[in-house]
Amino acid sequence: MIDVKNLRKEFKKTIKEPGLKGSFKSLFKPQTKRVVAVDDISFEVPKGEILGFIGPNGAGKSTVIKMLTGILTPTSGKCEINGKNPTENRKSYVREIGVVFGQRTQLWWDLPLRETYSVLKEIYEVPDDRFKSRMSFLNEVLELDDFITSPVRTLSLGQRMRADIAASLLHSPKVLFLDEPTIGLDVVVKENIRNAIEHINKQEKTTVILTTHDLADIEALSNRIVMIDKGRNVFDGTVSELKTKYGQIRELHFETEERNAAQALCYEKLFGGNIGGLTLEQEGKAVKARFDSSVVPVSEMLAYTLSRINVTDISVRDADIEEIIRRLYQQGVSE
Amino acid sequence: MKQIKRAFKIHRIFVVQELKRMMEYKGDFIVGIIGFLLAQISNLLFLWIIFTKVPSLMGWSLNEVVFIYGFSLVPKGIDHLFFDNLWAVGHYIVRKGDFDRYLTRPINTLFHVMAEKLQIDAFGELLTGVALIIVTLPQLSVEWSVLKVILALISVPFATLIYTGIKTCTASVAFWSKRSGSIIYMFYMTNEFAKYPATIYNTVVRNIITYVIPFALTSYFPALYILKGENPLFNIGMTVLAGSALMALGAVIWHFGTRAYESAGS
Repeated sequence: MIDVKNLRKEFKKTIKEPGLKGSFKSLFKPQTKRVVAVDDISFEVPKGEILGFIGPNGAGKSTVIKMLTGILTPTSGKCEINGKNPTENRKSYVREIGVVFGQRTQLWWDLPLRETYSVLKEIYEVPDDRFKSRMSFLNEVLELDDFITSPVRTLSLGQRMRADIAASLLHSPKVLFLDEPTIGLDVVVKENIRNAIEHINKQEKTTVILTTHDLADIEALSNRIVMIDKGRNVFDGTVSELKTKYGQIRELHFETEERNAAQALCYEKLFGGNIGGLTLEQEGKAVKARFDSSVVPVSEMLAYTLSRINVTDISVRDADIEEIIRRLYQQGVSE
Repeated sequence: MKQIKRAFKIHRIFVVQELKRMMEYKGDFIVGIIGFLLAQISNLLFLWIIFTKVPSLMGWSLNEVVFIYGFSLVPKGIDHLFFDNLWAVGHYIVRKGDFDRYLTRPINTLFHVMAEKLQIDAFGELLTGVALIIVTLPQLSVEWSVLKVILALISVPFATLIYTGIKTCTASVAFWSKRSGSIIYMFYMTNEFAKYPATIYNTVVRNIITYVIPFALTSYFPALYILKGENPLFNIGMTVLAGSALMALGAVIWHFGTRAYESAGS
């Protein structure tokens, strides 16, 4: 369905010395430097999949998405949807896709929301009867009825996001690109948006490519993750594969009367030199220690802890995906 | 043919949306109309003062000069009315990454950008231009023929394309330089020279406004043919040629520009 191969994008960047003098210098004798934003990215997405596309800020996520949506022209490599290529025939390519950028809107700002849909109907040449059934479907899933007659500028962020998602789905695209669709939304609205995406994916077999910094989105929606860093693929697999591959991070929760558990426990001794991922937080009685169980097995960690201090209410938990990824981002994934 | 029909349909829809948008802010719309009328009145007063002080100019009578002035406002006004959004490309659409939106839609991006805005201020130029033509023509002894009427009418859309083509070429520079408002402005403002007979300028200026930034072809040269019947092949032919060539060049630069477009970080 979606086929991305050896995708690469370079930007030319002007190097400027600081200050007004530097600006003048670069005006007359500009020095440019080539920056590789995306370097040899490849992946495939089968029909109907929800793919979570993640990576730290500046990893090149947006650049990849923009190449896949026909906005940027790749320096080299290819991206195709059903054999169609955005560089060769952008117009026919973009009919197959819907795009939502959480930070921007494609709605007509000053007009009532329904006007946007009637313009998009013409742009995408949706026939009248199809438009009617489509609108009632989108209405049902995204609950647009409450605000469809309000000017777009008066919508709340959550309403606007629902409206934008509906706008991107009006022409029944085969692939939906969602770039941070839950950014800035509260928990309840996030949940609604996730449900809607899931519903559309199930009902219409729409392939979804989702970038987000909220890993709850990924856990709720996507089975597969592609992670990139510094413009390169660093991981491609399922959520559970990610958990097993990148460190067996576990969390040890317990309560203790000890005022300074970190000092009393001195986990550094147990872990020797290998303290990657080891953290300890204490809030009153409650202590949370995070550790890599491939360095020190859970049983050993438990035994050690119990032997050092008096604890109650002890439990061991799987770290959530967010913890794993936070750790990866901090270390730099490429190592 | 089907594509042209579709383009017209989409254009109409955009225009209707734009009018609705203006109506959405009624106060602003009404104040805009009042301001527009005031500006037109002061423009006409200014012209009247100038032309009553200068009865003739390098062999051109007052009425002829006013006709050239009026004629120059018509293509300028049409371009201003329909294709004004190109300025926004040079000022912010590219720099802020707003161009993304056009690229994700299945219509030609240049057409989309141009069709999206309607600049009703342009009615000022159009009304003034048409008024000056209507006032001066009866006082000029012009020999009319069917051919002349046809050629005169043909020259208007192509003169418009000279404006739109130059704006498209210069606005496209923004795809590489991120903003090109000043470049559009620099080229666009040379149209001020086109309001008067080209013979009043020295050779350098005359050659520039005839062959380089050919705004003289939007009014002076067509007027030479319309008023004096001189050399239609050059006076109208060059306008048609320059309009087509500049618009084609603009479309090509635009096309390569969209491939060089770098969007903006988000």
